[in-house]
Amino acid sequence: MKEKTDVLQGTLALMVLKTLDVLGSLHGYGIARRIEQISGDLLSVNQGTLYPVLLKLEQEGSIASAWGVSENKRKARFYRLTRAGRKQLRAETRSWEDTAAIIARFFAAKAEDLK
Amino acid sequence: MKTLRRFLTRLSSWAHTQQDDDRLRSEIEDHIAMQTADNIRAGLSPVDARREALLKFGAVEAMKEDYRDQRGMPLMETLILDTRHALRRLRMAPAFTITTILTLALGIGATTSIFTLAHAVLLKSLPVANPAELYRLGKEARCCYWSSYRQDKEISLVSYDQYKYFRDNTKGFTELAAFAAGGALFGARRSGATEAAQSYPGEYVSGNYFAMFGINAYAGRMLTSADDRPSAPPVVVMSYRLWQQKYASDAAMIGSIVNLDDRPFTVVGITPPGFFGDTLRNTPPDFFLPLNAEQSIDGDLNNPSTAWLDLIGRIQPGAQASSIEAEMRVELRQWLLSHWGEMDANERATFADQTLYLLPGGAGITSMREQYEHWLQILMMVSGFVLLIVCANVANLMLVRGMERRRQTSLSIALGARPYRVISQTLTESILLSLFGGAAGLGVAFGCTRLILHFTFASSGVPISASPSIPVLLFALAVSLLTGIAFGVAPAWMATRVDPIEALRGAGRSTARTGSFSRKTLVVLQTAFSLALLTSSGLLTAALYTLEHQDFGFEQDGRLIAKIDPRLSGYKRDQLTPLYQRIRDALAAMPGVSVVAVGFYSPLNGNNWGGSVWMDGRPAPGPKEESSASMDRVTADFFDAVGNPIVSGRGITAQDTATSRHVAVVNQSFARKYFKGEDPIGKHFGRLESRTSRSYEIVGVAKDARYLTTGLAKPIGPLYFLPEAQHDLPETDPGSHFLHDIVIVTRPGVNLSAAQVTQAMAAVDPNLPVILIRPLSEQVTGVFRQQRLIARITSLFGILSLLLAGIGIYGITAYNAGCRTTEIGVRMALGASRSDAVRLILRGALWLIACGLVVGMPLAFAAGRFLGNQLYGVNPFSPSVTLVAVATLGLSALVASLVPALRTSRISPVEALRAE
Repeated sequence: MKEKTDVLQGTLALMVLKTLDVLGSLHGYGIARRIEQISGDLLSVNQGTLYPVLLKLEQEGSIASAWGVSENKRKARFYRLTRAGRKQLRAETRSWEDTAAIIARFFAAKAEDLK
Repeated sequence: MKTLRRFLTRLSSWAHTQQDDDRLRSEIEDHIAMQTADNIRAGLSPVDARREALLKFGAVEAMKEDYRDQRGMPLMETLILDTRHALRRLRMAPAFTITTILTLALGIGATTSIFTLAHAVLLKSLPVANPAELYRLGKEARCCYWSSYRQDKEISLVSYDQYKYFRDNTKGFTELAAFAAGGALFGARRSGATEAAQSYPGEYVSGNYFAMFGINAYAGRMLTSADDRPSAPPVVVMSYRLWQQKYASDAAMIGSIVNLDDRPFTVVGITPPGFFGDTLRNTPPDFFLPLNAEQSIDGDLNNPSTAWLDLIGRIQPGAQASSIEAEMRVELRQWLLSHWGEMDANERATFADQTLYLLPGGAGITSMREQYEHWLQILMMVSGFVLLIVCANVANLMLVRGMERRRQTSLSIALGARPYRVISQTLTESILLSLFGGAAGLGVAFGCTRLILHFTFASSGVPISASPSIPVLLFALAVSLLTGIAFGVAPAWMATRVDPIEALRGAGRSTARTGSFSRKTLVVLQTAFSLALLTSSGLLTAALYTLEHQDFGFEQDGRLIAKIDPRLSGYKRDQLTPLYQRIRDALAAMPGVSVVAVGFYSPLNGNNWGGSVWMDGRPAPGPKEESSASMDRVTADFFDAVGNPIVSGRGITAQDTATSRHVAVVNQSFARKYFKGEDPIGKHFGRLESRTSRSYEIVGVAKDARYLTTGLAKPIGPLYFLPEAQHDLPETDPGSHFLHDIVIVTRPGVNLSAAQVTQAMAAVDPNLPVILIRPLSEQVTGVFRQQRLIARITSLFGILSLLLAGIGIYGITAYNAGCRTTEIGVRMALGASRSDAVRLILRGALWLIACGLVVGMPLAFAAGRFLGNQLYGVNPFSPSVTLVAVATLGLSALVASLVPALRTSRISPVEALRAE
């Protein structure tokens, strides 16, 4: 059970960073919506899991937050990427792409290629 | 870096819990409100829109929990929570808590107390500056006087001439100091005081002694090199202890005159309070005199062949001790060669074997360490056993407690508690208990150490404090934590092994006796350790008995020993014989006194004097030949006074005067060794040192008696007695004419008090201090004080362990019997008799005891081996001791298990069945 959360949190963190990178400052609900739009059902049931991830990222200094006013004139907490976060995003994107490429090559390899 | 940052953030957010909770709540609300708004826009009714939003958000409480875990310091919070919980639970079971804490206090206290002693004696450095820079000469701590040309194995003591040679030629030392080996007593009297001189320990030290140790004066100044010159005005440094106790910290003491052995010395300073000199010993010096003062008192200073000085030096930072050692070995050869003309044949023959060793000297001269090391190791082992038994007992208690809590634990696990939380709760409880036990144990340790110090070094100034120091406190803490973990782990682990289903089944229905195996193992171990302890204490007690009840060869009853030292009052050699006569006359005139004699040393007074002897008509003994004998010098009637029978010839009598022929009385061992089978009477011998003269004519043989306190387990060695009035020609040994022990024999039924003796002595010479008056029997028992103490402590620990093992066996038998109440009820309803029931319960208990004894036997033998040479000839595998230990333990265990077995058998079957 714990491992599954870790995987989910890992990918979620990357998604949060990317979202903030693309959209700039954004509140929790906005991040959730964005991730939902792009990833489909990953967050469809458990939007709440986003908040512990946000907290962890903030503690690590990858993101920062402040109170602000949303587009609907509601008070909301806005998150934005810090310089460290941008660096982390770059590093993790590269490592993610590397991993994905390796896995992709594995899947692409046919039985006869190995002979 | 990232982790550290997270940690710091967590730490700060832990402090702002409330604020963060508010923030999260409002974020969640905002989130759901926005989602609801979106849902309404999408066409849902407000109620459905909110419902959908909540569903989508997921389990709020689980998320909050997750969030909190991320945010604060869950470990610390849990710890505080667990501690609070454990404290509450302990408060609710006061009987259990108090029993456990007391048991632990005994175990931890015993161990800590022994550690306090071991730390002070074995591990501690001298209280001086940078003890790691200090190096001392010699592997072995030696005492008194040796030859500086030739010493067995290594040169450990040096003469003043040798010291100066080393000091002036060795480069690696910043300071090299010398001081007299072993202690000496001085008769001290403040100038102008009316009271008689009193004796205090003192020490001759080189002028740079205090500079070498880096010790500054508490008041006044310390000695300097300028004080240690032949023509320097006589000065002395006084110990803080004496200054405070005897002179009430009188500031006028500095600069005033104190007469030491009737010579005036000016007190120039007081040592700092913690300083006890170079050696940890019972009688730390109260006076520090310059080496050059020795010339006028004893006169060994300028004799290059008399080695009486220990060396300690402070090496230069960065210098290598090994290269200094090599340098000093070369210097030793050079020095010996420069004295070649004064050396005799034997000394020249062993020239090539002479060497020296330089050892770390931060702990000073460690004679006490060598003396007590094995004893302390034995005590450490014994207290370790007690601690293990205590752990086993407490673990057992904890297990029972765990059983009782089974229902609660299984309920917690059924409700989703994680196993590690259950373990950490139980462990927190046991560690808390052991910490409390440790705190109480410190009190026990303090009392116990005081007691041991009191019995071992009664009335002496041994600088060991019973109050816990930082290392001792750390030790107690570490032992407590380890103990807590040791006895807590098994019960904690057992606690997680419950089946959640059990909670639903209701208490006591289960037949599986979970934890029964580990409980049985604990009881077996306890029995085994207890057996080892009982055997050890039995062996030590047997050894003590053998020692104390041996044939000493002299009488102890109705004899008083009064110690004097005529040297302390400035007596000269030619005044001695009349002095002894006056003392004998004065004391013999007292009513009830039958015989009075004076001797250099009385039996078992702790001294030994001796050297090589040379039989007349035979070649001189070679360097490797065993030719030693101990020597005593006595007045007439000495043999009658100590009750040492003469087996042939005569004793020393009043006819043996300064002018009559030189005679000697030898003991049987001497006769056997040097005159195998021949009649020694009429034969002549002499001391090797006198070389030319072999003038002692043997006039009598005395029965072998124990005079020496060394080699108590060995047969009595050769010993000869010389008349006090006769002086060697040429004089080899003037010091031996200063006799120490007056032996006073009283008639049966007469009780002579110390005050009467002191009074009679004051009439002889008011300036001659009587150092000590005690019965000869007390002098004898004093020799075995250490052995007695160890035997007593071990026996005490043995009884304690017996008690604890008994409680352990009682506990497990009672518990098992309780579990089987129903079964026994059924059996009895079906016709089993009471004795059947008793047998049923006893069988299990006896099996455990038998296992424990079998496991304990090798342990007991190992312990016996470890005691080894402390047993003075008692067989370490003595069957009778082992048998007694096994019987005692078995019997106590039987009684402990019989009580619950009988109680169970008395239960009525109906009641047992209804109890369910």
